[in-house]
Amino acid sequence: MKVSLFITCLSDAFYPRVGEAMVRLLARYGVHLEFPRVQTCCGQPAYNSGYWDEARATARTILDAFDDSDFVVCPSGSCTYMIHHYPDLFKDDPAYLKKAEQLQSKAFEFTQFLVQVLGVTDLGASFPYKVTYHPSCHGSRLLGVKDEPMELLKHVRGLQFKPLPFANDCCGFGGTFAVKMADISGAMVSEKVDHIKESEAEVLVGLDMACLMNIAGNLRYRNEPVRVMHLAELLYEGVKEA
Amino acid sequence: MSAARGQASSVKERADLALNDEFLRKAVKFTTERLRSGKIQAAEQHGNWDDWRERGRQIRLHTIAHLDYYLNEFTNNARANGVHVHFAQTGAEAVQISLQIAQSKSAKSVVKSKSMVSEELHLNHALEGVGIEAIETDLGEYIIQLAGETPSHIIIPAIHKNRYQIADLLSKEAGEELAPDTTILAGFVRKKLREKFLEADIGMTGCNFAIAETGSMVLFENEGNARMVTTVPKTQITLMGMERIIPSWTDLEVMATLLPRSATGQKLTVYMSGITGPKRSADADGPEEMHIIIVDNGRSNQLGNPEFQELLNCIRCGACLNACPVYRHIGGHAYGGTYSGPIGAVLTPSLQSNVGEWDDIANASSLCGACYEACPVKIPLHDMLVFLRRRKVEAGYDNKMETIGMKGFAAVAGKSKRLITAIKLGQLGTKLVARDGGIRLKIGPLKGWNTYRVLPSLPSKSFRDQWDKLQQEVKQDTPAMDPAMKARMEAFQQKRQGGNGHG
Amino acid sequence: MAETHQELLQRLEAASKTRQQAFMDEIAGKLNRPRVLSKPVQPFRGAPEFWLDFNWTLEEKIEQFINNYKAAGGHAFHLSGLDEVRSFIVSKANEMSAAYIVRQDQEELASLALEEALPEASIRVWNSEEDVNWKAKAAEADFGIVRADYAAAYTGSVTVLSDKTKGRSVSLLPTVLFVLIPESRLKTRLGEILPDFDTMGRENLPAGIHFISGPSRSADIENDLTIGVHGPGVVYALIYKES
Repeated sequence: MKVSLFITCLSDAFYPRVGEAMVRLLARYGVHLEFPRVQTCCGQPAYNSGYWDEARATARTILDAFDDSDFVVCPSGSCTYMIHHYPDLFKDDPAYLKKAEQLQSKAFEFTQFLVQVLGVTDLGASFPYKVTYHPSCHGSRLLGVKDEPMELLKHVRGLQFKPLPFANDCCGFGGTFAVKMADISGAMVSEKVDHIKESEAEVLVGLDMACLMNIAGNLRYRNEPVRVMHLAELLYEGVKEA
Repeated sequence: MSAARGQASSVKERADLALNDEFLRKAVKFTTERLRSGKIQAAEQHGNWDDWRERGRQIRLHTIAHLDYYLNEFTNNARANGVHVHFAQTGAEAVQISLQIAQSKSAKSVVKSKSMVSEELHLNHALEGVGIEAIETDLGEYIIQLAGETPSHIIIPAIHKNRYQIADLLSKEAGEELAPDTTILAGFVRKKLREKFLEADIGMTGCNFAIAETGSMVLFENEGNARMVTTVPKTQITLMGMERIIPSWTDLEVMATLLPRSATGQKLTVYMSGITGPKRSADADGPEEMHIIIVDNGRSNQLGNPEFQELLNCIRCGACLNACPVYRHIGGHAYGGTYSGPIGAVLTPSLQSNVGEWDDIANASSLCGACYEACPVKIPLHDMLVFLRRRKVEAGYDNKMETIGMKGFAAVAGKSKRLITAIKLGQLGTKLVARDGGIRLKIGPLKGWNTYRVLPSLPSKSFRDQWDKLQQEVKQDTPAMDPAMKARMEAFQQKRQGGNGHG
Repeated sequence: MAETHQELLQRLEAASKTRQQAFMDEIAGKLNRPRVLSKPVQPFRGAPEFWLDFNWTLEEKIEQFINNYKAAGGHAFHLSGLDEVRSFIVSKANEMSAAYIVRQDQEELASLALEEALPEASIRVWNSEEDVNWKAKAAEADFGIVRADYAAAYTGSVTVLSDKTKGRSVSLLPTVLFVLIPESRLKTRLGEILPDFDTMGRENLPAGIHFISGPSRSADIENDLTIGVHGPGVVYALIYKES
């Protein structure tokens, strides 16, 4: 069975440590991830901005990259959900439409893969800190990843979960939105960070590095000492320590 | 403040003005937070909320898909009830019909209950232009009419005003100083508008739902002003969007379940009124003459368009405004149209079919999907915003800089080799500008981002740079997979193949 | 000569009938199909199926109605019969010094014989005389008294239908509203009331059907709840046992 890693362009360039954590965690369960090197970006920046021809160009690369995979695992709910738009993008291209439908059914966000596919909720991790969780919009609302991360966090030894006020509010990232509507986006991320401070957490976890980069950027700008991690990183650190 | 907002020409400019208006931000945030918590509570308390949403959606989908039948049935039944039914393709036509009726009645004043359609038509100006006084009687609408403004929220029109501003406005009207106390202010309005109701020649309303099978129109409200408007004056004129139809009273239960809970968290608005024709001859109150003007004004452009037809399912509850983080920060006026928030960002360009002029409204969203989640009839507004952006690009109203950027994006992200080169360049550039692993420069495209954040610097090695080494390390200690886990994976695969039929 | 109002109405009517055809044709055209001329089969009508079996016992309905009505800012009581209703209204009239009372022309209300119990008050019966401005009478009234046609416990709503003997103004214009609810008219859900209007048929419907769920209210000023903005600010729902 071929299980492939869709690293996403952001984690590839900015957060290789997230990919490493995923690879090492899954290896513990006998899942040997493969990494098709031809993969690039899911195409979301172009798709969301209305440039569908450009989105199709990158989507084709992704579809070809994972054509012969049985499962595709991705550290981003948003990029995983982007794959669900591929059938729309290729509705007039039967060959790629077929690939798109197949990829949609075999692509999983990291925690979805762990909990739904592998059936793992307790990794034996230990992480004795106060942790809060930001559910990213696309992953939680659109892809429907709501219970999986909570299940995983619940089983981490020593972890003190701090609920995040208005957790479901968008962090203000929104891709090109953060650049085009910088001030609205800035107001949104500032509010998110206010809520994180209210939670009194030492660590913020999430499932999407784009949102986490946005939030971490504002935390750092304000000199707030909250550590920001992808859940895969937290779990990996937790099993290493345990 | 509001004058400056009127002059700002783009959503971004108007939003920036709003963002700098501390009071406005706080007021809007306070109220929308209350409303959305109320909605969530009401939905939870009622239970099976998604089943109700789906039911509401199905009823609306069916009605709109057969709109010619149901609208025709409604028209014939309303006529049989003694209503004068009129059709207006455009806002201007609806205004003209209203004016003809009002002038023929030699009306001096018109009392109005809240109607978003009437806001679309700017009817008050038209009435005043021919010397007829138009009085908004919903408390919030009355306040913004005195202020010479437009509503900034579908449900709470004066959400952007505080009690001190309202006390000033009403004191001017009263000719005496009124204390900034809600009860005193509302008491003044009650007394003042009582007189207006009793002397008005015409009552004008909107329409929440129109029931095809009986030709009835239904109004939801809390204050009682819509009941006043439909009970006291001798003539009633109702402005109705052509898509307001539902088939039956039985279906109204679903709308009555969804609308008040979504709008304010109430189990039902204080008043829900079904009006079926003018007063019966023996009745001692109710209008003697009743008109319903069915307005298109761009609505029918959504019909037959698979991407936008569901817009017509909207029941105007305002839940998407309350859920929207962008609306919460910038308020309704920043959207620049009659309808604000996520529904306004989609509805305004769609009704106007004017992609060029309204091109930037669709950008005022992070596409977070909170609107879709809050919508009681499940309109995929976040998808529609993307469709609008695409329509803009396809129609050639794209931002040329952005187009160059996107073409570059496709060239780079379309091929892994080019992406690798780009990352390498980035890694080099990072070395030049980063301090402590962060970039704080506020120039060029980094300006907006770094005004609120620190950008992380690129690590010296990308994931793909590290892959070979990582793979080697991991290979050595990957155990064999647990058979139960393997079985789960195989089951998933089988289900997928089964689900896809023959692939 | 200038067009009379009647002529205007005729002209608009003729124009409307022509437009109607074109309007519907255009809708069908945009939907890319011929006109739908016969009633389409409705795949989903009304509330979800699971909801249709939801019914409370009489005791539950009374309790829930009272809770919901109170939560909306109204006053609600369960009384033993019309005698207790009478003494309730009389004591409130004395307490509030109600001078003007208007009531619907309904048998139950007549049987209260309020005129005897409140000799000082002016009590008018809706539409009982000609050449009276009944709207003005309702507007000046301290109390309006109506008997509900229906009530729904789940939403805490009463339903009143208009006709010759039942003015819409009586439940709207007075300062204080009393609604009498015979137990047999109290239902659980809106869904036990609304379909009646479908079965009643268009030609039998009253001009006004009003659901009232508490006192008139507004939250338009700083989201601060205000009671009694246009309609009655004080409302009493009196559920009573029928003999």
